[in-house]
Amino acid sequence: MLVLTRKLGQDILIGDQVLVKVVKIENNKVQLGIQAPRDVAIFRYELIRKIKDFNYRASTTSPLQLKTAAGVMKQRMHG
Amino acid sequence: MWHQTCRKEPSIEVERRMRIKTRQFGEIEFDENKIIHFPKGIIGFEDCQRFLVIHDEDYEPFRWLIAVDRQEIGFPVINPFLVVPDYTQELPNSLVEKLFAADELMDLFCVVTLKGEGGKVTINLKSPIVIDYQNKRGEQMVLPSDSLPISHPIS
Repeated sequence: MLVLTRKLGQDILIGDQVLVKVVKIENNKVQLGIQAPRDVAIFRYELIRKIKDFNYRASTTSPLQLKTAAGVMKQRMHG
Repeated sequence: MWHQTCRKEPSIEVERRMRIKTRQFGEIEFDENKIIHFPKGIIGFEDCQRFLVIHDEDYEPFRWLIAVDRQEIGFPVINPFLVVPDYTQELPNSLVEKLFAADELMDLFCVVTLKGEGGKVTINLKSPIVIDYQNKRGEQMVLPSDSLPISHPIS
């Protein structure tokens, strides 16, 4: 991993269109400003991590268990 | 089945049969034109870019999204409107219009997981999967709303 040291107000350019600025430094928090084209998705990584974990769990679903759950759902939906 | 094939409307696309082995349905044969392309994959499964949506009565109201190229990978999904009727409020207007337009062939699904021994059903409302059957394109989007849970219990 590339590690860079930046001071308050300094920037990092990623590719030729994504600019990351150090906006505020406070105790153990850093506030970053990000300038990027609209089609570049920007997320807090924890969110993506959680979605990945959910997807991993989904991908290992037992077909038999899903059939059982489907039976329960069907019963509930149709009274 | 044979009769159905004969009566089918003439189509420009030539039907090409493909066979894969799945964990859910054993070996299945299908028309390659049914494959939905996910250029960005599914989050965490970026290498899975071709999927089949399988509708099987035994699993209703769930469906399976089966990865064509990694046949051990399949995601159970559900139409969220069946269980969270006001979910449309969380979606961008442009998407809602498309989803409910009569001439658009689209589906919206949420990924499903089963938790614990009782198989409690939870669905991911934060990042639904949009499928456009006309263009055969699919995407797992991430909605901006902070209040949407990734793991929402429905049973």
